[in-house]
Amino acid sequence: MSKPSPTARPCRSSLRRGLWTVSLLAATLLATGFATASESGATTAAVPPPAASAAPAPPGDTPPPDADAAASQAPPEEFRSLDSDVQDLKKEVLDLNKDLFVLEEELLFPANTQVAVYVSLDVGTFFNVDSMTLKVDNKEVANYLYTAREAEALIKGGVHRIFIGNLKVGKHELVAFFSGKGPHERDYKRGATLNFEKGVGAKYVELKISDRVRKLQPEFIIKEWE
Amino acid sequence: MGLVCALLAVLLASLPVAAATRLKGQTAPDFALKSLGGENIRLSEFRGQVVLINFWASWAGPSRMEMPRLEKIAATYRSNGFVLIGVNMDDTESSASNFAQAYGITYPLLLDLRKEVVRRYAVETVPVTVLIDRSGIVRFVHKDYRVGAEQTYVAEIRTLLKE
Repeated sequence: MSKPSPTARPCRSSLRRGLWTVSLLAATLLATGFATASESGATTAAVPPPAASAAPAPPGDTPPPDADAAASQAPPEEFRSLDSDVQDLKKEVLDLNKDLFVLEEELLFPANTQVAVYVSLDVGTFFNVDSMTLKVDNKEVANYLYTAREAEALIKGGVHRIFIGNLKVGKHELVAFFSGKGPHERDYKRGATLNFEKGVGAKYVELKISDRVRKLQPEFIIKEWE
Repeated sequence: MGLVCALLAVLLASLPVAAATRLKGQTAPDFALKSLGGENIRLSEFRGQVVLINFWASWAGPSRMEMPRLEKIAATYRSNGFVLIGVNMDDTESSASNFAQAYGITYPLLLDLRKEVVRRYAVETVPVTVLIDRSGIVRFVHKDYRVGAEQTYVAEIRTLLKE
């Protein structure tokens, strides 16, 4: 077998390159649908062209029916599928974000050690909340000032998570100091204590301020949720 | 050796700047403080407005010069979505209220007796002025006060109001 001459090499490589270009071009044409059109070019002479590919109507012709107009305004199939792909992708991102958030919460506050304290206000006629201080085992864990808007949200039924943290299993003491305006716009400060035993599961505590109508005084209740 | 010394000098020179302006471009730390009027004010409730926070003390000479000028700015741009808040760094409420009465300050003056907000904003000198845009990002930080600085504040406020 004779060795290829040095001049033959560039020829072969250029041929290969040419073939590669052609195949790429063919693939592109196929993808755009041009290839199909050119293949059926012989039959197009016999078969009338589809309405979509028809030449534009001359001026003065009657306008197309509504259905045709809607069809011409509707986005092509490719765009629709692309749009649905984007929507799917967005949904996946949102789901992933939600999963990450849940995972982060679980890592930072594992259910076994989690303690959450919520504040709620029932009616609020005899007490206008100003601030709340929370101590767990004699250590201040939260000190929150309520703005007028936040107090209003509480009156409307909102619940505020004032504290979320971790506590080990065993006995603990929770002390809450409520301060605000009591009856007759007087400064009012009251404390409430809860001794509780933290078990294996998460612990939820509600600090509820309600009106004691008989005594015309506010009432401070600490309630444990399982 | 010379290069090391030069690097050290550059680092030392940049330290105070980094402490004072480190919040630039970041979301302004949220806080809630009691005002001299007894109302609780939370920064995040002003989201959507341009906010200027002025850290001041009644014992600081530049604050005494600056605050009446700030009062004028507040009155001018209040209707355009601009909020001015003064955070007091005094140790007692009485000194702040005496000052406010004497100088006729009407914008909200907040008491930071526990110095929590002062620490969060890394305030090292008095006064310090922080400008926050409508989306809650710290855009400008000014340390101290020199006569004429209010012109800069006005220009910056106008820029932020136009955004």
